[in-house]
Amino acid sequence: MENNIKIQIRNLWFYYKTISMLEGINVDFPENTITSITGPSGQGKSSFLMTMNRLWQCIDGASVKGEVKINFGNGFEDINHQKYPLPMLRRKVGMVFQTPNPLPMSIFKNIAFPFKLIGEKNQNKTFEKVEYALKKAFLWQEVKNRLTEDAGVLSGGQQQRLCIARALVLEPQVLLLDEPTSSLDEISAEMIEQLLLKLKKKCTIILVSHYMDQVKRIADTKFILSNRQLTLQEE
Amino acid sequence: MFSWCCALLLATGFMFIVGFLVVKGYRGINLELIFADTRLLDAFFLKRQVFGGLFPAIIGTLSLILLSIGFALPLGLASGIFLAEYASPRLKSFFSLMVDILAGIPSIVVGLFGFSITIFLHHFFSSQIFPCLLISALSLAFLILPYIIKTTQVAIESLPLQVRLTAPSLGATKLENIIFVLLPSALSDIVSGIVLAIGRCAEDTAVIMLTGVVATAGVPRSVFSNFEALPFYIYYIASEYSNSSELMKGYGAALILLLISAGLFALAHWIKLKIEQKTRFGY
Amino acid sequence: MLFKENIARIVFLSASILSAVATLLILGFMILLSLPVLETGMIWGILTDPWSPDHGRFGILAMIVGTVYISSFSLLISFPISLGCSFFIQIIHPDSPGRFLKLLVQLMTAIPTVIYGFVGVFLLVPIVRKVFSYGSGMSILSASLMLAILISPTMILFFSQSFARVPKRFLDATEALGATSFQKLFYVILPNAWTGVFTGLVLAFGRAMGDTLIALMISGNSVVLPSSILDSARTLTAHIAMIIAADFDSIEFKTIFICGGVLYIMTSCGILLARFSVKKRVR
Ligand SMILES: Nc1ncnc2c1ncn2[C@@H]1O[C@H](COP(=O)(O)OP(=O)(O)OP(=O)(O)O)[C@@H](O)[C@H]1O
Ligand SMILES: [Mg+2]
Repeated sequence: MENNIKIQIRNLWFYYKTISMLEGINVDFPENTITSITGPSGQGKSSFLMTMNRLWQCIDGASVKGEVKINFGNGFEDINHQKYPLPMLRRKVGMVFQTPNPLPMSIFKNIAFPFKLIGEKNQNKTFEKVEYALKKAFLWQEVKNRLTEDAGVLSGGQQQRLCIARALVLEPQVLLLDEPTSSLDEISAEMIEQLLLKLKKKCTIILVSHYMDQVKRIADTKFILSNRQLTLQEE
Repeated sequence: MFSWCCALLLATGFMFIVGFLVVKGYRGINLELIFADTRLLDAFFLKRQVFGGLFPAIIGTLSLILLSIGFALPLGLASGIFLAEYASPRLKSFFSLMVDILAGIPSIVVGLFGFSITIFLHHFFSSQIFPCLLISALSLAFLILPYIIKTTQVAIESLPLQVRLTAPSLGATKLENIIFVLLPSALSDIVSGIVLAIGRCAEDTAVIMLTGVVATAGVPRSVFSNFEALPFYIYYIASEYSNSSELMKGYGAALILLLISAGLFALAHWIKLKIEQKTRFGY
Repeated sequence: MLFKENIARIVFLSASILSAVATLLILGFMILLSLPVLETGMIWGILTDPWSPDHGRFGILAMIVGTVYISSFSLLISFPISLGCSFFIQIIHPDSPGRFLKLLVQLMTAIPTVIYGFVGVFLLVPIVRKVFSYGSGMSILSASLMLAILISPTMILFFSQSFARVPKRFLDATEALGATSFQKLFYVILPNAWTGVFTGLVLAFGRAMGDTLIALMISGNSVVLPSSILDSARTLTAHIAMIIAADFDSIEFKTIFICGGVLYIMTSCGILLARFSVKKRVR
């Protein structure tokens, strides 16, 4: 079965100041699949993910040329267009960073933060969603009695799952995952993998990973990023 | 060897200064020094003016701090945020040059500025305006403004990139990012900067000398009245004391001021330590 | 949403503009208020004449010279000490003695200037008087000594910062060659950190120049050109503080704005110089 294309990238260039990190990338990411990106360290995988939610705009000196079009249900829209509303985009494109980045607030507020941003007033609904997201990320059991504690006190792996839960809470259509299991043990990592397999029924997942077995287990399409180019990896 | 000598020299210099004050001043510190012969409660509820004690000077210094921090804080925070997050490189270098110059201006010149503003207002608006608490506080605010701007700017700028990117990745706008993430993350740094700025307010003499402090005024009745302040009192005693009991009071006042400054310093330091601990576990 | 963002941006921008305007406004006021004197063409006289209002001469040359004398002399005293101390903190004992000294130095920055002045009047001045048995003891020497203590923390903190940036491998390499500490300081650290040292010197000079209280309290405030370091002298800052009480309309009074302007310009030049050398280092 051929899936619809969700993200269409044409002739994409990425620069830090004047140094190019990506040179003329052309690629399509189909809906409801997991696409993996591997490759040597420092080649621009994290930077590439940031072109799909325009997060590079928050970095001094970063610039992008080319087209990134995403179909959120109303046909392809160029997200690099000046007028494209950024908050909207980033609610529909969730991102998990390479290293856990809890916000300086309590565990509960961390997860509820996206709701706060969209102006959700209904406390009960927020609480339900938070619980749901935490359960999905297999964190609920560990934190259900300490929701008001500062998120900074969680362990590295717990923080990572917290960030996954936070990315899930708004039910994004696209998920950008930057080594989401890098500080998890094998069992937790596998649970996250199961979660991703379930999630792909509803979303398009781009996964950056260093673990070859993991990629083999769950990715539908595999890419390698090196020498500023994205190449399809043959079986 | 040479640097041991330097270190010792500096330390002895410090010891001499502090030791001298402590030895001479500790006997002078008692309730009478502060309240003279007024009853405590009367003094606190302003039922009776305290004459001859340090109480009005302490209150004067306190109101000076509150007012000038009140002026400088919003302005300083806002400009610090602008410099850190909004300004283009060009604007940034211009504004930070201005801030540096402002920080370098001798406090007496700032005082002179405050004084000239008073003359100006006196001439053109109302002849009721004289040097007063409000003018002093405003001038002091200019004095501490650059510190607050700088600490805010540096505190925000030194946050790691990840912390800055988190909220935007969840759909926060720039302002939301600043309010919910950047300011709270940088808060402890900013607060310890503010504490140091309070220290500057408490110690500065040159500015208030030109803008309304007097030797005896009692507790200030309003922001438009004259006032007393601890550092000025110390200066005044040093230059005009007439007998040894007055001098004793001077020693006492100096010791109190020293304690206040040291206390503020310790507070700032403690806050710094606190953040360092927190960041070790946090990000 | 967008509306709120824009409002916030405008608020932050205007705060920065206000701060910059304040900086320029101070200069503006100094110039504006000294204009009446400048217009009479007396500027040359003011810059070179002696100060004797009774004879209609209002020259501030003695004050400029006094300022330069006292600040340079204090710099001369504190520079080697600061160098030694920062060497101690950064290179010889980066462990606990160094940390302790650093803490002490930081604490010293928090001591109010008026305290230095007070201790100067009652401790240093009598000592100087006894030791040299010359004059009242209120002299350039006393003021410079006290100022040296005041400014060395600024210098020490700045120096040790720039020492810390000297690459460790340079130090290790010289260590391996069996260099003494002195050789390390002169052949490795200073050549590598001189811009930082220079900047620290400039900033400390600005601070010494801008200080009012110490000079006012212990330099004796005579208006004659000083001929030795045991003579008393008056600085620009102290001059402003003393003349402020004069009649508003007198020329005497108006000249203090020239003093203010001169101070402003001298310190700003210092800041520009410091920034320039920092920029150079970055390149
Ligand atoms: N803010 C920045 N400014 C300038 N250069 C940057 C910035 N962030 C990253 N780089 C550079 O861009 C290159 C790619 O970085 P990126 O983080 O995308 O690599 P990566 O493929 O994710 O590596 P890793 O597997 O180690 O995470 C690196 O060489 C890095 O030095
Ligand atoms: Mg990466």
